[in-house]
Amino acid sequence: MNLPALTLIRSFFRMFLLQGSWNFERMQNLGVIYIVGPALKRLYQGDDLREAYQRHIGYFNTHPFMAAPVFGAILCLEEKRVAGHDVSFSVEDFKSMIMAPYAAIGDALFWGGVRPLAACTALFFAVKGSLLAPFVMLGCFNIPHLLMRFWGFIQGYSRGVSVVELVQRRRLPDLAIRCKEGTLILLGGLCAYLVFVTCGRHGVEAGWGLLALPIIYIYIWLSRKGLSTLFLTLMTFILVMTLFQVIA
Amino acid sequence: MSLVLTRIDNRLIHGQVLESWVPSLKANCIVVANDKVAGSTMQKLLMEASVPKGIRVIIGMVDDIQAILSSEDLVNARILLLFATSSDALSAFRQGVSYERLNLGNMHAGAGKVQCSCTIALDPDDVENLNALERNGVTIASQCVPSDKAVSWHKMVKLTKR
Amino acid sequence: MTIAECLLAALVAILCGLDRVAVGQVMISRPIVAAPLTGFVLGEPLIGLQIGMLVELLWLGRLPVGASIPPDDTQASVGGTFLAVYVSRSLLCPEPVAIAFSLILALPLGKFGQLFDHMVRRANNVLGRRAERFLLAGELNSVERSHLAGVGNFAVASLCTFTVIAVAGALLSDALAPLFAPYLEPTGSWLYLALPLIGASMLVANINISRSLTLFSASFASALLILWLL
Repeated sequence: MNLPALTLIRSFFRMFLLQGSWNFERMQNLGVIYIVGPALKRLYQGDDLREAYQRHIGYFNTHPFMAAPVFGAILCLEEKRVAGHDVSFSVEDFKSMIMAPYAAIGDALFWGGVRPLAACTALFFAVKGSLLAPFVMLGCFNIPHLLMRFWGFIQGYSRGVSVVELVQRRRLPDLAIRCKEGTLILLGGLCAYLVFVTCGRHGVEAGWGLLALPIIYIYIWLSRKGLSTLFLTLMTFILVMTLFQVIA
Repeated sequence: MSLVLTRIDNRLIHGQVLESWVPSLKANCIVVANDKVAGSTMQKLLMEASVPKGIRVIIGMVDDIQAILSSEDLVNARILLLFATSSDALSAFRQGVSYERLNLGNMHAGAGKVQCSCTIALDPDDVENLNALERNGVTIASQCVPSDKAVSWHKMVKLTKR
Repeated sequence: MTIAECLLAALVAILCGLDRVAVGQVMISRPIVAAPLTGFVLGEPLIGLQIGMLVELLWLGRLPVGASIPPDDTQASVGGTFLAVYVSRSLLCPEPVAIAFSLILALPLGKFGQLFDHMVRRANNVLGRRAERFLLAGELNSVERSHLAGVGNFAVASLCTFTVIAVAGALLSDALAPLFAPYLEPTGSWLYLALPLIGASMLVANINISRSLTLFSASFASALLILWLL
């Protein structure tokens, strides 16, 4: 039995609420139920339905965007199971096998890669004083984000378990590394521009701005020593304020 | 070989390990000691695919870990060693994998386990295993990511008793 | 601040706060979006843009991985914008001073965000257990409803964090702003430079790229020198 398109669309949109009841004990488990619920109700009745719910209420946690291929594949597996096909993986095994690696890929790619890259791009607009900055951020981030959700969900649903190979072939962790390298270069340029502008505003020759580098090194060193961002920020505020009092 | 971190984490390789521990410890090799993963080709492939190139991943049975760690080609590696459970950590230790510190990352709630902190749930067996490790001079503390505070596991267990 | 403005800001705080974990993750929770949005509803989008720019980089390197909770930069920027508008209007501070001052208050108060976030996730444990009882009783729709209750919990937490920052911040600023202003004023825009530089250092320090420092330094130096030569 194939799931009606409307049920699939419902599941797709419910994926945006995956983490709605994130908890320490089972993490995203209720989110899973919420997403696959409409489909399960189509596929099973009575005690079978309750059993199906029971199968999905266990511990689950993965990256919210990388969850798209996972849910696509889960729906496909449930369909096959009802149709009596021989499935090489039980749904539970598939979930427990895939959640941690996909969490790792998603964290690296979206939180570690795309998000800083989009933010750095948007910051250039913000520094210019342009109110386009938020839209640049939303655009740069959400195009890959929504693509992952659409593409992943459709591929997962149509290919089932073998969606794993498809995602694997894309070498997403290496793509994440490239995003991060891009972020570092943009960030260097952004900082340079900020230093340049500030120097200019105070009539300091911009070449002196190179002194910002050793200051940054000191911060990097302090951060690696374990000092928190908040502490360093507040200390800097106090330091700068006293410095200017002494000068004046 | 230098062992930069030994960690119990039931999720094994995931975001916390790759995005925060690996860069902050400058590890270049992740060794996973887990029978289940080592026994399944598919799971092994998946786990290896989640790691970017430049970081080596070695997945082996708990019983083989000592041999893997003492092999020639890991002489210059900075290794992050992962176990899924406290009993794996203990049995590896007994087979000669010597570590001085043990980090508790995620030990997930389950039947018979008592939630000790947000990410750690222990049952009596876990407590016994950890105690045994401690008697052998291992310092055990819970810490999700490097920017969190490390909490001694005794503190957590005490908290739950109260 | 009119009551309508406070309510609008609170609404933005909830919407952006939900985006952090519970709903969507379309990044309206990032400071660079949340702060200008707050500024927009308060009629001062440019103040919001400034705050967003300053806060955005600060914790960009901290990822929401697994169960570890990063500092609440969303509420720090929504609350920070609210405070900056409040301070510049009611205490008649010049705008740059108001922005710097409200960040001094909002960033540490944002710590409460982590606390509330923690509490929600623990409160949601209860929902999980309740859902299991519903399941045993065969009330499947109630199982799904328990999930939505979690969204409600996250909304309440966002509102709490925002309220703490806004109320405590406003009270503190009445007392402290006149004290701090004379110290803040002479620092000019140097203070503004400090935040992005700290944020950048934190990102470089914690990113898992080999030779991250080389890449960053080379890009920084070449960009600066080119700007200088032009």
